[in-house]
Amino acid sequence: MSSSMSSNMGSRPTLNVAHLPSHGFDTRAPIWWGNLLLLMIETTMFGILVATYFYLSQNFNLWPPPRSEYPVGYNTNPMLLIPTINLVLLILSCAPMYWVDRSARRARKRATQTGLLICLVLGLASIVLRWFEFPAMRFKWYENAYGSSVWFLLGMHYLHLLTLTAEVVFLTIWVFFRPFDEKHRVDITVLAVYWYWVAAIWIPLYAILFFGPRII
Amino acid sequence: MAETEGTMQEKIDRSAVDNDASAVALMEERERAELERTWASPKGFFGWFTNTNHKDIAMRYIVTAFVFFLLAGIEAVLMRIQLARPENRFLGPDLYNQIFTMHGTTMMFLFAVPMMEGIGLYLVPLMIGTRNVAFPRMNAFGYYVYLIGGLLIYTAFLLNVGPDAGWFSYVPLSGPAYSPGKRVDIWGQMITFTEIAALVGAVEIITTVFKQRVPGMSLNRIPLFVWAQVVTAFMVIFAMPSVMLASQMLPADRLINTHFFNPAEGGDALLYQHLFWFFGHPEVYIIFIPALGFVSSIIVTFARRQIFGYTALVLSLIATGFIGFGLWVHHMFATPLPQLGQSFFTGASMMIAIPSGVQIFCWIATLWGGKLSLKTPLLFVLGFVAVFVLGGLTGVMVASVPLDLQVHDTYFVVAHLHYVLIGGAVFPLFGAFYYWFPKWTGRLLSERAGRWNFWLLFIGFNLTFFPMHQLGLKGMTRRIYTYLPETGWGNLNLAASIGAAIIGVSVIIFLINVAWARRRGLVAGDNPWRADTLEWGTASPPPSYNFADPPIVAGRYALWTMTAETPVLKGLSTKRREVLVTRVMDAEPDHLYELPGPSIWPFLLALATGETFIVGIFTPWGFPIGAVLSLLALFGWFWSKPKSEGGTAADSRQEQSLLSLGEAQGLPLKKGA
Repeated sequence: MSSSMSSNMGSRPTLNVAHLPSHGFDTRAPIWWGNLLLLMIETTMFGILVATYFYLSQNFNLWPPPRSEYPVGYNTNPMLLIPTINLVLLILSCAPMYWVDRSARRARKRATQTGLLICLVLGLASIVLRWFEFPAMRFKWYENAYGSSVWFLLGMHYLHLLTLTAEVVFLTIWVFFRPFDEKHRVDITVLAVYWYWVAAIWIPLYAILFFGPRII
Repeated sequence: MAETEGTMQEKIDRSAVDNDASAVALMEERERAELERTWASPKGFFGWFTNTNHKDIAMRYIVTAFVFFLLAGIEAVLMRIQLARPENRFLGPDLYNQIFTMHGTTMMFLFAVPMMEGIGLYLVPLMIGTRNVAFPRMNAFGYYVYLIGGLLIYTAFLLNVGPDAGWFSYVPLSGPAYSPGKRVDIWGQMITFTEIAALVGAVEIITTVFKQRVPGMSLNRIPLFVWAQVVTAFMVIFAMPSVMLASQMLPADRLINTHFFNPAEGGDALLYQHLFWFFGHPEVYIIFIPALGFVSSIIVTFARRQIFGYTALVLSLIATGFIGFGLWVHHMFATPLPQLGQSFFTGASMMIAIPSGVQIFCWIATLWGGKLSLKTPLLFVLGFVAVFVLGGLTGVMVASVPLDLQVHDTYFVVAHLHYVLIGGAVFPLFGAFYYWFPKWTGRLLSERAGRWNFWLLFIGFNLTFFPMHQLGLKGMTRRIYTYLPETGWGNLNLAASIGAAIIGVSVIIFLINVAWARRRGLVAGDNPWRADTLEWGTASPPPSYNFADPPIVAGRYALWTMTAETPVLKGLSTKRREVLVTRVMDAEPDHLYELPGPSIWPFLLALATGETFIVGIFTPWGFPIGAVLSLLALFGWFWSKPKSEGGTAADSRQEQSLLSLGEAQGLPLKKGA
């Protein structure tokens, strides 16, 4: 059976794909889809965390709750300065990342290297700033449910900042010391998608965590 | 004389063909040997930890999940022994709590989901005509993480630290106040491990199906099995994050004093139920929808005709996927909910019967008038229809609030969920085993033993679970470790226990059948059932590279529509692990992509992940240490080159000229689009 199949196959018409390129950008690349699905998972997760935040707020008359110790009248709204600086920084950082994205597509090695270094510095700056955003919340995670939920939200986004920056570190090392090959150029454009997402998801989260309490 | 002349002439003709054919055959043989070398899985003890072949990884999932199925089955039998008569002293209350928790947890998290995904990871690449999944190393990582989760919880169980708060571990029972010790923490981290594995599998399946289908297999020609796997994968993506968060918040409440579920500090016990069931209800469909894929495959093959209502079936799968997310609150009817919420979720719960009904009708219509070949796989499918319809009926009953309040937390619910899950998933699963076993091993399972297997399972199942409806209505609550003789529950419980023993015998017959068929079963050949999907178009078991020349697909029933004129795909490298990437909608060829070969890094990353969550149970330092270890493993992962035979551009050009020798006709390629 199988031998007759194979002798038949020789005379069968063929679809030869040998001349096709070895990479494609954007929706053509499997890794782009893999990344998209990861971002869907993570967006769902943030959605559920935001739902948790509002669900818990139903148990409080004031949100964020007032202090239980003296002075109780003390303002418990989260501080705005550092988180706002970080928000602006994250949004602005999309510009050099966009440049990196463009340069990687056009195989401009020098520009990609420079852009990645800038993004690396901005990523590290954002990580440092985030460290001071935790105390900008006036409750610790163990003080009440409000504290728990905001620390969890900040922490999950922090984790993404760390992963993102680690990825930038890796690709920066690669473009300096390894060939500027097509595979890694595709990877850089996918990194850019991740970067935009980390910045974009922070806009509603910032609005909810830091601005929301002032409006309601 | 005239006859001899005729044969002489034929001989001459044939030898001319033979010369041509032998040249082609020689070249093809060389090509196959090269493919075999390029795609071969690493051997030996260390090879086991570096393998990235989707079939090997998937078979590990299937075997591991089946071992967990047997363990959970043993736990079920222990419970049935304990409940066989009133005031039995076989198991104490504490051990009983651990055992029912382990039974539910194992069946849901360590058996059902990994089993369904494992079968998908094995068959999906074959059914769509590609050589491996899109991210082979990540696939291996998913398996190791799952294995670590399973080993963790069973090690704990053997050390008497098994979880004991039920498979959904409701707070406050599972909270720090009522469950001191590490039992619930271990449960929580096991959940995290298995959910990571499930998410990884989902990403694999969607990307592979979207990007690696063989040319010609447009979205409207994908086999229903593959559709079922894709819908399931999307449900995993939207459902699993919820339980991962719950399984992190719960240990956080217990270990670092957060207050998510602590009402004293503004937390909320019901929040846990919402988070759990937002995952938990879709979970039922995550288990059940792949089984619908098995059913569709088996019905098409054994009714020997095209499926009735392909589009209706696909739309029903997708509708089930959506509606499945609108039902979770019906698990919480006994909690204070707004009236509107109750009505909404009752409506949604009843609505899901519509797509389920459409599917059942489509299958019946396909079977109706088909030339049924009543082999064991089809027998299991018919069993599925009968049992699942009963489970569906009690489902519609418990969807209504007043009835739900009456039977909540009784054996009525236990009966319902077993009718749905065993009927909806385990019956089709056994059908799938009988159906695909010849593809996996090259040998057929015994039909005679298969019939015993089926009928004992069917009778044993109904004897075990049907009386539970009545027990529930009589007021027997679930999770009690014993009862008094005066309750009058003794006889029905005894019947259920006898049924459990019959199920046990049925499963033992299956195990013997497998062991026997591995050595002595009938040799299956490529396509013993004359089925239509592509996995049957290659050897049994399939070679490491799946297809030497994947056929181009010309219709919904790839093999049934294949003729001698159907073109085959040529031009993939034989020296590198190359796959063809195609466009999402119509699968036009787009580019060739080299997949990574064997690698140790997925295993090391899984160990780092394991360290993070397991040490994290005992000290928060587990997390930063785990983060550093994971980072190192990821760097190693991305830095290491994909390890194949090291082909270069020159190689591929040489190959190309070799290939053009064998080409009789080249087909114009659709470019771009």
